[in-house]
Amino acid sequence: MIFRAVEDADLITRVRKGDVEAFNHLVSRWEKRVFNYLLRLTGSPDDSLDLSQDAFLKAFQNIRKLDDNARFGPWLFRIAHNEAYSHFRKKRPDTDPEDAERMEREPARTVAPELTLAVTAALDRLSPEQREAVVLKVYQGFKFEEMAEILAIPVSTIKSRLYTALDLLKVELAPTNSRGIQ
Amino acid sequence: MTCNTDLLRDYAFDELPAADRPALQRHISECAGCAAELDQLRLTTAALRILPDQEPPQRIAFVSDKVFAPSRFWNLAPWFGFASAAVMAATLIFTVTHRPVEIRTLVQTASAQPIDDIVKKAVAETRAQTRAEDAQLFNARLEASEAKHDKEHRYLVEALAVMQQSLNTNVLMASSATSQTGAGQ
Repeated sequence: MIFRAVEDADLITRVRKGDVEAFNHLVSRWEKRVFNYLLRLTGSPDDSLDLSQDAFLKAFQNIRKLDDNARFGPWLFRIAHNEAYSHFRKKRPDTDPEDAERMEREPARTVAPELTLAVTAALDRLSPEQREAVVLKVYQGFKFEEMAEILAIPVSTIKSRLYTALDLLKVELAPTNSRGIQ
Repeated sequence: MTCNTDLLRDYAFDELPAADRPALQRHISECAGCAAELDQLRLTTAALRILPDQEPPQRIAFVSDKVFAPSRFWNLAPWFGFASAAVMAATLIFTVTHRPVEIRTLVQTASAQPIDDIVKKAVAETRAQTRAEDAQLFNARLEASEAKHDKEHRYLVEALAVMQQSLNTNVLMASSATSQTGAGQ
């Protein structure tokens, strides 16, 4: 992770000098994480790809505004978060059921279907804010401080959302755990 | 140390300050409830991580600005524009300053002669030429028409001759048949 940050910082320095290939390299290092973060928020692969592209484009356009090169990750995810919520505000009235179905089907190809369905169903029962806290912490591995930076809220609020979500998930996933792991 | 769920959760997510860890670890080893809570939290996060990351359906890449950067040739484009405009302006000035003299000369030359006579002569010549052409065309058409009629007439005559001959043959055959029938009876 430290080496990754050092390499990112070097690439960002080159991007600031106008090196587009350095930015493409940076994109290739982050695109899967950003895509999966957006996929777990939106549930739509197509929307997630579009939003990822928009987020990276904004990152490229505003790279000079990044104060600390070592904070590129949270800064990029802040942009992606804003893109996702801007998208939700525009699209809220009509959600695409086909995308939701596809989202539920696709993970089942690699792991036991009942487990993935249980986890997906449990995540779906969370509020969007709780789900995002879980995604950033459990799936993306961000620290509380970084999450606070991404979501622009205090660490105490982050913890409250995450731990409430985990209490709910614990109840939902306990039977699944006992069946799946034993 | 008493049971503290928040500290336990911070510890589970590796967010507890290093200085507080030994005390909490001692408490977990002594408290079955906190140990069970920690296990349950870890099982829950492990269950969540069952969902695998997906590959983006398409790679994201940005095109280098160098592709769109103007070359040296195109940097000179404005100068080419100015040069062509200067040539056009020079041509226009040359035309304006020289051509009116020629026009004036022609007009002056023409105005020295009686215009009516020239016009009348031109009209008469044109009319005569037109009449000659009309007559020529009329004669040609007439000849073609006559030739066509002659041809048709010839065909008709030939057709009549053939029909006459055919009729004569039929009459002859009929009369011969009648005479043979009479002779047989």
